[in-house]
Amino acid sequence: MTRLSFDKSLYQGPCVDEAVKVYGRFATFELTEAPQAWVVAVSAADPAREQKICRELSNYALGLTITQRKAGA
Amino acid sequence: MHHAITTDLSQGTARFTVDPSLYPLDAIYGAAYVFIDRCYVFLEKDAQGQVLVSLSPKAPAADAPTLERWAGEFSNELLSCAWRHQLAAENKTLLEQVTSLALGGAMGPPSLDDLANFDFSGQALEDPLGIAMSWEEKYKKKDKKAEVAPAAAPAAGAPAEPPGEKR
Repeated sequence: MTRLSFDKSLYQGPCVDEAVKVYGRFATFELTEAPQAWVVAVSAADPAREQKICRELSNYALGLTITQRKAGA
Repeated sequence: MHHAITTDLSQGTARFTVDPSLYPLDAIYGAAYVFIDRCYVFLEKDAQGQVLVSLSPKAPAADAPTLERWAGEFSNELLSCAWRHQLAAENKTLLEQVTSLALGGAMGPPSLDDLANFDFSGQALEDPLGIAMSWEEKYKKKDKKAEVAPAAAPAAGAPAEPPGEKR
């Protein structure tokens, strides 16, 4: 299991949620909230696949955060 | 900027810190957005509030020079984005004015109803030098009686004609 910690000042919560929805069928996700971060625990059968899903999820969440921020500005 | 670039070949990741007091968050996002199509970008914050950027290749293998080159290109893009951000902030008022003028012009001329309902009674501007005075007001013919009267009525006690000029 890999734990991804998305800093709240850098990533928007709804964007992380959206990214988890998009990649939900490729792995098992568990979302929790820390004081400073959105924490996503990712579990997949294969470690290499798990790492790839984590990286894709991070990229998607970051891209969505940037576009949402631009749209809201 | 403390710009220590570290490459972790076992993870295939280049990591470096960015000082958000020098580079605004918008610039960091702008540079990250340029890179998310060619590598995985992950942002974190450390205890000092510095933004930690991680770049990982999408293809399985990337050697150390490639990772370092990405970090360098990211830094250049970061500087470019920060400069554009500063220019946008400086020209924000001008852009808003031009945009509002363009939108106002696109609305077209006022309708007759708009003109009929327009309040012309208010003084539009102060005009202490009389620049806005109409031509007729400024150069209108003065009343002849008013011009002649002061000359025709000599001052009290003054002779009507100079002495010695009587015929």
